Order: sequence, then structure tokens, then C-alpha cells
Amino acid sequence: MNPEFQRNLWLELTPRRMFAMVVALALIFFAAALTGGLVSGPGEAAGWLYYLIVVVWGSRNAALSVVGEIRDRTWDGQRLSSLGADTMTWGKLFGATSFNWFGGAICLAVILIDLMGNRGVAVALIELVYYLAIGVIAQAAALLASLIAAGRRHAHSQFGVFLYQAVGLAAAIIVYIIWATADPAGSILARRAPADFIVWWGLAFDARAFLLLSLAAFAAWTLAGCVRQMRLELKMRNGQYVWLGFLAFIGVYVAGFDAWLSGWQSLMHLDAVARRLLLAGTTYGALAYIMVFLEPKDRVHYRWLGSAFAKFQFGPALGELQGWMTATLAALGVGIALLVWLGQTPQDEAMVGAMLGFLCRDMAVVVLANMLARRRGGDFIALVMLFALYVLLPAIVKGMNYETALVFFFPRAGDPLWLSPLLAWSEAVLATALAVGSLALPEDKAAAAPA
Amino acid sequence: MIEVRDLVYEYPSARALKGVSLHVAPATITALVGPNGAGKTTLLRCLAALEPPYSGSVTIGGLDTKQAPRAIHARLGYLPDFYGLYDALSVRRALTYTARSRGIAAALVAAAVEKAAGRVGLTDRLEARAGELSRGLRQRLAIAQAIVHEPAVLMLDEPAAGLDPQARRDLSQLLLTLKDGGMTLIISSHILAELEDYCSEMIIIEDGLIVGGRAIKVRDVERPRYMLEIATARSDLREFLSARAGVDVIEADGYHALLTHTKNALARAKLIRDLLAAGFEVSSFGESTKTLEDAYFKQVGKG
Repeated sequence: MNPEFQRNLWLELTPRRMFAMVVALALIFFAAALTGGLVSGPGEAAGWLYYLIVVVWGSRNAALSVVGEIRDRTWDGQRLSSLGADTMTWGKLFGATSFNWFGGAICLAVILIDLMGNRGVAVALIELVYYLAIGVIAQAAALLASLIAAGRRHAHSQFGVFLYQAVGLAAAIIVYIIWATADPAGSILARRAPADFIVWWGLAFDARAFLLLSLAAFAAWTLAGCVRQMRLELKMRNGQYVWLGFLAFIGVYVAGFDAWLSGWQSLMHLDAVARRLLLAGTTYGALAYIMVFLEPKDRVHYRWLGSAFAKFQFGPALGELQGWMTATLAALGVGIALLVWLGQTPQDEAMVGAMLGFLCRDMAVVVLANMLARRRGGDFIALVMLFALYVLLPAIVKGMNYETALVFFFPRAGDPLWLSPLLAWSEAVLATALAVGSLALPEDKAAAAPA
Repeated sequence: MIEVRDLVYEYPSARALKGVSLHVAPATITALVGPNGAGKTTLLRCLAALEPPYSGSVTIGGLDTKQAPRAIHARLGYLPDFYGLYDALSVRRALTYTARSRGIAAALVAAAVEKAAGRVGLTDRLEARAGELSRGLRQRLAIAQAIVHEPAVLMLDEPAAGLDPQARRDLSQLLLTLKDGGMTLIISSHILAELEDYCSEMIIIEDGLIVGGRAIKVRDVERPRYMLEIATARSDLREFLSARAGVDVIEADGYHALLTHTKNALARAKLIRDLLAAGFEVSSFGESTKTLEDAYFKQVGKG
């Protein structure tokens, strides 16, 4: 048996705890069957208990599976073990949550019995897949968040654990809402007509089948993300293939929903290819923003990257690019493709060019803010700087009736048309130069300064 | 066994290691000493492939820490200065988990656990929970976890912290036994007296650099240092000793001599007989106990 899983079983599944869980659940189901008050019976009670035990509590335990090791100073010992990243990941993911899954299994049994009696075996099996998927996705997302934080050495506090749990819960809520859109019985929270089919890449798919496959794909990517982060913790190199594979997947997946944009007034003049490129590019841009805040802004790593590129060691340097860097490059690549495709529409081209420029500026601003911060808090400084650039300063400028100056702050149709992209890229170059200049060691700067 | 070349390690705001190079021979015990903040723990973590160097290289048994960190982890035992234990697990389960996670085959785990527990004197506590152990016993369990898989290289950061005098003596004996079994050990500590009993070489690290540029041989287990004292001064003391087979005089004056000699008791007895026969009034002859501290202060130029 996986030693990490075994250790977690020793700690989590003690006979006393298992007995307590069985008794507590039995009492709740018995009460639900008798009273029929807040819930309609044991089946519905089991559904809510499943969310509570597996999703809410389970995502906390998944987050604690790494954070607890760091806090209790056992993490270095685990990192030195002979366990592979995948063994360690599943040993933690399903071991640390084994008690939750024990309780969840009892709830699932009650749910299945209830569904088979009321809605048939097929629906019961589909719901089983859904319940398992939402549990795994929530816990894996919480584990992934805690691993990313561990890489940033920000993982110890109780508030941190709450944040990682919140990531898991957010993932579960997204899954819940998406699933509810295709639930023939309607959603518990938002009772509305279900979608029977989904149009993707111009083809109509059965909504439930499409969503089940999508859930499975995103669960697989979340687990792959966990393993990749675990590899980093175990000091293994990741390379770029999995991340590039995810970028390709998410680009193709999101671009397939171009039909959703066809109703937007401002985008009606774009053809399907332009809409797809716009969706993919915007997704890559959003990923770049997410990743630049999630990943560690390690001055030493950036210095090493700079020296590797300076020595023309492109292979190792490209292999060590961070996720936000490749996402930005992907956004630039797709953006350039969109510029080429747009051809004779200079207004759109100027807007896309400005968006790409401001994306690069913002990436540099986040790095610069982290280099300026003495210890931690660089990301908060970056958020303040971006808030000032996108909200505060434009509000002041607008209040002073200098609306033409708004072109300095975000993509905006300017006169002449090239003004917005020119300013965006000028700011990007300036911010990048400042960020690169701030990477040097204080002692090296002092040595380089004239006496 | 361990080769370090021009190792540079940087923290975001400072360079912790500034071009460290060193060589550690197999089956030796090397002390890593230096003041707080000198870079000892950082160096140990780089050697353990837990931190990647900014530049330079670390190889252990021919494996580079950058290229094969997991293979190096498999060969290492490492006890950090601040370590944790699974308090809810029994000693047996804690060691069983460590053994299994360190790649010991399931059929061999029980024997490995018994052996490791026996080495640190925890055989009678195998069913006790780690959380119920005293500080000294917890330290022993942590050491047992570090050696349960019989690593080729063992790195211990402040291993004697929390141990009583008897346990420290037992630890010294254990470390020497492990070394005699072919293990290479690196021990980091502030307390030189603690290292005195078992270390043969010393690396002094100060401000991210190795003082003197290399490891210093402070103690040869086969040829310890002895201090000789005579009651009446003799100008020919050095000459007489140098003429004896197997004696190397390190320093001498009319009353004292610091020398190395084989650890063989009969050979020592013969040397004393020769001295007495030649009219030297031997008032004291014993193994020198201040070698590590002397060497340290000699290198750093203090004391």
C-alpha cells in the first residue's frame, strides 16, 4: 500500500472516529425520515451532508495535508522520502480525506438508494459520477492551492488554510452551478429551466454528457496540477509540456463557445474565427494575471533566467519559464494571429495591440512591486498599483475633464488610432526595464555603484 | 563521497553562500561549525538537495543535486535542527512509515524498524506514542527515522540538543558505529565540545565562506593526539620523542609535548616505559581533549 496513504489511514480512520461517524449519520438520517421538516427525507439530508463532509470539511483536510506537514515541521522529511510525486499526491489527497470519504460513502449509499427508487438507475449513476467529481475537484483544488502557497513559502497560518479551503469551495460552487444548468430537476439554489444542449465549435451536444466530460477533463487537469506542484516541492523539474498542453486544451475548449459571443452588440461584426481567437487570447491573458499572482516571484530565479538567456542557454531557460510567462507569450501569439486575421479593421487592431501592451505592462508591474517589497506583501503592493492605474488615476483624470488622457491607463480608442497601443507598449517597456533593474542583489548594486 | 564546487546560494536580499568548495571523504565524520547565520543550515540544505544552488555544483556519490535530487534524497538521512514528529503515531508506526517511504521492501521493514529502534535505545518504547515521549526520547526517535534506511550519507543539524549526558555519550558511540559501518556523516553544531568525541574533520563556515578554504583534520581516530607532561624540564624531549617509532610530534617545549600516536594501548605503554627508562619524569600522559576548539580558534584567529 502507498505508505503516505497508509500513514493517513492510521491517523484518520481510527475505530473510535469511524464508530462516531456511523452513529452520527444514522441518527441524522433517522431524524430526517421521521420529521420531514427542513429536508424532504434521508436522501436530501444525505446530499447536504455529503457536501458538508466531503466538500467543505474534505477540502479543509486536503489543504491541511501539506500545510499541516509544513507547520509541524515534518515536510522536509517527506520531501526526502523515496515516494514519487504521484504517489505522494494521491496518498495525501485521498489519505488525508479518508475519514471524509468514509462519511461521504455512507451518504452516497443513501443518496443512491433514494435516487434509484425515485428517478431510476441511470439518473442515480449519473448523479454518483457528479458527486464523486465535485468531491475530488473541491479537494484537489484546495490541495493545489496549498501546494502553490507552499512553493511561495506562504503556507503556515490558519487563515492560509481557510483561503486554500475557500479555493476548493469556489471550485465546487462553479461545478455545482454549471451542473445545475443541465439538471432536469432544476437547481436547488436557482430554480430555472435546464439547458438541453450546448453548442461548442458549432456543434450541438447533449448538455449532461458534455458537462460530465468537461468535469472529468477539469478534474484530470486539477489532479495534474497537483502532481506538477508536488514535483516542484520534491525538487523535480517539470518542463513545459504539461503546462503547454493545458494552455492548448483551455484555448481550444474556450474558443469553442464562440456562439455565446455572437449576441454581443460590440462583437457582432467579428466573424467566428476572430471571436474564437479573441476568446482564446482573453483566456490566456486571464491565466497570465492569475498565475502571476499565484506563482512565487523569486528574485534569484529571475536572475538565473536572465543570466541563462544572456549566455544563450535557451534550452534550460525556456524549460524554467514560469506559468505566467508562457501564458503571456500564448496571449501575445494568439493576439498577433488575431491582428493578422482582422486585416482591414484598424480600430480593432489598435484595441488588440493596446490590450497586449497593457497585459505586458501589468505583468512587469507585478514583478516590480514584488522586487520593491522588502519581505512579503509584494502582491498586495501590485494590486494597489494596478488599482491606481485602472481606477484611481483614471477617476482623477476624468474628474479634471482630461478624458483624452485616459488612453494612458487602459485600452481605449484614441485619436490618432495608434496612440493607445503606442502608449501601452511604451509603458510596458518602461515597467519591464524597471523590473529587470530591480532584480540585482543589493550588495551587487552597491559594488557596481561609483565610489 | 561529497564534492562541492564554487557553491553560491542566494536569498532574495543576500548571498548566503559565496563560492563554497569542499570535499568530504567516505566513512568520515565531519563537523560543520560556525556562528549563527554563517550559512551552516543553508549549506546542509544544499547538500541534502533541498535547496538548489544559484551556481556551482554539489555531487554526492557522483550524483549532481540539480540533475538527480531524488536519487540523492534516497541516499540521505537528514535531521534538521527543528524537526517534527507524528505525535499521534506510535514509535513503531512512525519508523515503519519512514522505512516504507524510504523505499525499504515491505518484508524487510519490521527488521529495519527493530534495528533502528535498538540503535537509539527505543526498543522498549516501540508502542508508545511519539507525542508521549520526553524531549530526549523524541530526539532519539528523530535520529532513528534518519537512519532507518541505512543511508550512505547522514546529515544531522544539532543532533545532541535535548539529550542528557548519557544519551549524548550513546549518540557519540552510535555515530562512530555508523561511521565504522561505512556511513559518511556531517554534523552541524554550535557546541564544539559535543563534536569532540566523534568528529575527525572540521569545516568552519563564516559569512558564507569556508574559513581557510578547506576542511581541517582535527582528529584521527586511529592516531589520536596525546598531551605529555613531565615534572622536570628536558631540552631533548622533542628529539627523544621524534626518534620513537610511530610518534609524530606536533609541538613541544621543555615540559610538554603534543603528539600523535597509535591508539594501541600496548604501544602507548611501551612509549611510557621508554620515557621513564630514559629518565623523563612523566607526570601526565593522556588524550588531548581540546583539539577541535583549538583548531577552530586557530583558524578563525581568536582565543
